[in-house]
Amino acid sequence: MSGPLLRAEGAAIGYGAAPVLSDVTFALEPGERIGVLGPNGGGKTTLFRALLGELPVLRGRVEVAVRCGTVPQTERSRLDFPVSALDVALMGAIAGRPWWRRPGRAERAAARDALARVGLGALADRSFGELSGGQRQRVLVARALVQDARVLLLDEPFTGLDAASERRLEALLDELAAEGRGVLVATHDVEQARRWDRVLCLNRRQVAFGSPAATLTRDVLTATYGGAIVTLPGEAGAGAALAILPAHHCDHEP
Amino acid sequence: MLEALDLPFMQRALAEVLLLAVAAGALGTWIVLRGLAFYAHGVAAAAFPGLVLADGLGFPALLGALGVALLFALGVGRLAARGRDGHDALTALALVAALAAGVVLASDVFASGVAVESLLFGSLLAVGPGEVRLAALVALLAVAAGWLLGPRWLAVGFDAGAARALGVRAGAADLALLALVALAAVAAVSAVGALLASALLVVPAATTRLLTDRVRPWQLATGALAAVEGVAGLWLAFELDAPPGATIAVLAGGVFALAALARASGRLRPLGGAA
Amino acid sequence: MDALIEPLREGIMQRALLEVALLGVVGGALGCWVVLAQLSYGAESLAHGMLPGLVLASLAGAPLLLGGAAGIVVAALAVALVARGGRRGPGDLLGRDTAIAVVVTALFGLGALLALAPETPAGIQGLLFGDVLGTTTADLLASAALAVVVLAALALLHWRLLAVGFDRASARALGAAPAAADAALLVLLALAVLVAVQALGNLLVVAVLVAPAAAARALTRRMGPMIAAAVAIAVAAGVAGLYLSYYARIAAGAAVAGALVAAFLLARAAALLRARI
Repeated sequence: MSGPLLRAEGAAIGYGAAPVLSDVTFALEPGERIGVLGPNGGGKTTLFRALLGELPVLRGRVEVAVRCGTVPQTERSRLDFPVSALDVALMGAIAGRPWWRRPGRAERAAARDALARVGLGALADRSFGELSGGQRQRVLVARALVQDARVLLLDEPFTGLDAASERRLEALLDELAAEGRGVLVATHDVEQARRWDRVLCLNRRQVAFGSPAATLTRDVLTATYGGAIVTLPGEAGAGAALAILPAHHCDHEP
Repeated sequence: MLEALDLPFMQRALAEVLLLAVAAGALGTWIVLRGLAFYAHGVAAAAFPGLVLADGLGFPALLGALGVALLFALGVGRLAARGRDGHDALTALALVAALAAGVVLASDVFASGVAVESLLFGSLLAVGPGEVRLAALVALLAVAAGWLLGPRWLAVGFDAGAARALGVRAGAADLALLALVALAAVAAVSAVGALLASALLVVPAATTRLLTDRVRPWQLATGALAAVEGVAGLWLAFELDAPPGATIAVLAGGVFALAALARASGRLRPLGGAA
Repeated sequence: MDALIEPLREGIMQRALLEVALLGVVGGALGCWVVLAQLSYGAESLAHGMLPGLVLASLAGAPLLLGGAAGIVVAALAVALVARGGRRGPGDLLGRDTAIAVVVTALFGLGALLALAPETPAGIQGLLFGDVLGTTTADLLASAALAVVVLAALALLHWRLLAVGFDRASARALGAAPAAADAALLVLLALAVLVAVQALGNLLVVAVLVAPAAAARALTRRMGPMIAAAVAIAVAAGVAGLYLSYYARIAAGAAVAGALVAAFLLARAAALLRARI
């Protein structure tokens, strides 16, 4: 398959008449990992919803050539839903099939394989709600694999994960990209985004898009996060690391 | 109608609806703001088996009604006020249990001739002095508590977390609100019945909400509307020999529909500020 | 053993038991989706709001199923109108639950008004609390047809409903239209309420939809077992309630509803105990 997996050109996205996110222009090529950076409310989730077709595009174009799998943030209500990890992975099997076809033996085997692939083969029959945060994220990735999604949209998947789980998930994403899939990850971790192929900075409008080295400058980060940028001493030879402090609001309410 | 006012039972019925209207005005706003409509309905329905029990075992009706209503309030009320997940299933089942228990007690256990229908749909034309006194007490308490605790109820209603941060002891104030609503619901049962308490406690407040969004005008309008609907319903029921509780409910519903239509067609401008 | 067989000798009890069993199957299976989608209040509202339809049918001597169907359609439309209302409409200003409460109170009051006006014959208690002992063969056929339709639909829609219930946002990405799933569930709910209201009555019908599913939820961890458990509990409790009403000589509909709620309480207690051990 040639050409980008998905692409946006001058897109403006909104819930009503006024756009909440504008000037979005980027493309996701097969095998690429794009880190989506930006403050809360800056438009990361809005962009994902538009890519899934949930929100209208008010201006410009958004073209999605392939099936997307989503790994959203796990909300509280889903933790007590009566499903096992296998059930969740199996949900991927309904994609692209007629509504009256039920997942059968082949789909069930594929779901187990997907869970094994993400390292959860032994926990397939465990309740979804009993799994740890990192495990839940991986189950949702398995669901996207069963769906055979060529693009994965992950909304802040690393929040609340310990270092080991974080590394495991990152390694998994690298593998998936190596297979030719595209990965869009919304994250707060600038250093993490540096390790990927491209970064997309959003703050109600697109601030920048490009390779991390060229794009993640102090100016871009200030425009994206609007807060104070602090330079931290980097590891030997790795250069200085930039950290973001939240913007300070001086107008205290009584 | 005016000649009818010579009749003592009509005087009592009139006093009852007017006093309940005051309570409805004071509490209806909070019931709507805090999402307690289902709770109020449930408490009123819970009064039904209490009343049957009281009649069957021979202790004061009010005690029976309040007892079971408070049980319901304690069990389900706190869940309702916090809006916790799954509370709607619990409330629905508590409601069913109360109604099933009531009908079994009335028809089979006591076979006491307690008219199930008059308990479920009210017997406004048969209220006694005791019930009027209760309505007066509820009206008084509602107005007083509303004046004292209104700001706390408002704070918690909008943002429980912020209320805690501001030092509002939401727990006690909440309990008071739930207890008052339960008391008002029990008082309304004798007038409009265990199944139609919402006709006085919820529907007028909901109707006037469509017209204003400031608390003070809202409360006053609710009280006025509830009084008008109550009196009109009483008069209609007397003239047409229809059940008063149901008449008031239909009247209140009709007014609400009109208000909603008027608002939707844009012809009604909300009073007292921006919509 | 004799105690179990004795009621079965009467035709009335045979039909009543069969009816309760059929309704238990429907209530248990469909109820699982109702409870998980937090539609208990919606089910309650449909049941109460349809009273005018039932009363009018009863007054006109028309089949209750017809009046009930009309009543439920009117109730559903009224609720939909008011609960949506658009921006600054009633649903927005009052909150959805309060708006529904208003509509239900008005409709229920209308039904009571029609039923209690002096010219009308007595009989509202049957509509309110059900008349399971008056189940006719026609009623049984209707219930059986309902059971077939509901079970078939649930079997076909199972994975869609599961995906939508679990993660609505992702369900769309998977091609499981959430709006269609919602609509299907509501139609099935309306059908179930319509048929069950004859046996259990307006006020108690919600018990068979909510209690078994809520009980099963406390005891199981996956959807399949939950549905199976709910069906088993519903049928067992329903039948037990009927036997109780036979031997204790109490109202049948209320006994069934009471048994269903008791089953729920037992299940919750059992789950609590299991958690402590």
